[in-house]
Amino acid sequence: MIVTPQIVVRLALIVLVTVLLQFAFFSQVPILGSVANLLPVVVVSLGLLGGAVTGSVIGFVTGLLIDVLIGGTLGVASLSLMAAGYLAGRWREGYDIVSSLVPPLLAGALTALTALVYGLLTLTLGVDAPVSILAIREVLIQGLLGILLAIPVFPLIRRAVRPALVDDAGRARSRAAGRFSRRGGTFGMMRRQGSV
Amino acid sequence: MYRKQVRRRRAILVVLVVACLMLISISISEADSGPLHSIQRGVSTVLSPVAEGASRALKPARDLVDWFNETWKARGENDDLHDQVAKLRAELLATEKAAEQAGYADKLGELMNGTGLTGYTPVDASVIGRSFSLWYGTIKISAGSSDGVSRNDAVITEDGLIGRVSEVTGGTSEVTLITDSSSGAVTARVVGKGPEGLVSGVVGAPGRLDFGLIQGDKEVKDGDRLVTAGFTSDSGLSSRYPADIPIGEVVETIPAEQQQREQVNVEPFADLADLSQVTVLTGGGE
Repeated sequence: MIVTPQIVVRLALIVLVTVLLQFAFFSQVPILGSVANLLPVVVVSLGLLGGAVTGSVIGFVTGLLIDVLIGGTLGVASLSLMAAGYLAGRWREGYDIVSSLVPPLLAGALTALTALVYGLLTLTLGVDAPVSILAIREVLIQGLLGILLAIPVFPLIRRAVRPALVDDAGRARSRAAGRFSRRGGTFGMMRRQGSV
Repeated sequence: MYRKQVRRRRAILVVLVVACLMLISISISEADSGPLHSIQRGVSTVLSPVAEGASRALKPARDLVDWFNETWKARGENDDLHDQVAKLRAELLATEKAAEQAGYADKLGELMNGTGLTGYTPVDASVIGRSFSLWYGTIKISAGSSDGVSRNDAVITEDGLIGRVSEVTGGTSEVTLITDSSSGAVTARVVGKGPEGLVSGVVGAPGRLDFGLIQGDKEVKDGDRLVTAGFTSDSGLSSRYPADIPIGEVVETIPAEQQQREQVNVEPFADLADLSQVTVLTGGGE
């Protein structure tokens, strides 16, 4: 991802809008006895598009903002979302997104992982209450809802940060030059090396 | 070049992980008046108007989703009842907000008069936000210290107790629900018979409460209703919650032979998953 001041502003806006949507809408709409979690879906999308560093930093900031807004223990959401963003970024640096199913499935899996890490951290920090086996169901439902959310969210995020994406910029240049664009090539190599 | 990129990536990751661990450590060990909590409150105060605006703007969308949810639930009922529910729902959607608030006020008045809470000053508030995980059952409401709300004030709806104020800013407050594992237990007693115990949340089951440490000879059975005990000791120690606020109904009792201790599951009277308007009991009972 080519990070320019304009892209930083766009990323900040994406994070702010995501946190507000989660806080004021998704958290208040029960679905299947749980709530959809937009935060890891957006963090994973940005990790997939921008790499491990972008994913980690966005995860950290998003977690910090939601913790401040809702008054949770600072750092817990940051750590779990950061893990999701980092893993998504590492996936992107190691593999090509060969199918349109990859982002939703990865978002679902990492959303479930975020819920699991968040729960384990909370347990580690001490929960003075009985823990129900239904917590596992919560993790699975959040994963399922993450898959469904990622279907529209990933293309939207991709569109929002398109000017910063090396692949898309490369394709645009290739089209402008009248050449065929080929997946991989210089940009693919650079991406695999983690240099972009 | 590649190694440099990897080193940079790892360095950023380590810095972020260390920052998270430090935040967690300080957040837990520090007193509520500490600098980190003060910063958290300050930023929350700044962001609250934005969050409140977003909440108001998104209310029609929430209502729409609620409408679909309710429609889905109603599918299992017979045709006549289904038609009736649809008609009522259409009427409900058309009802003015003021009329809705008036209805809420009437029911709340009945609750307050019936439970001897007239010494408290009720402050009505709208729910503007909610935590995203079942591990924290907290909501944010549109009333704060400028409305007379203080920390640890009890929060109720027309159906009964929902929690207590855990954090206050000028125009908003954070309410920790009774189902939150960190809210602390509520002293409760069974209506009519009097066995007392502690009601606390169950992690992973946000719509359920656990009634434990039961004291008293009489047995607790399904259908028993629980209200706050609201104790006051000779030394001046008293419960955070006023007495006699309805909490919930016992829906399941599991004998001690099957568990380490007798387990009593309670379903709250208030629908904690769908809160839009709440009331804070301010001032303390005189």
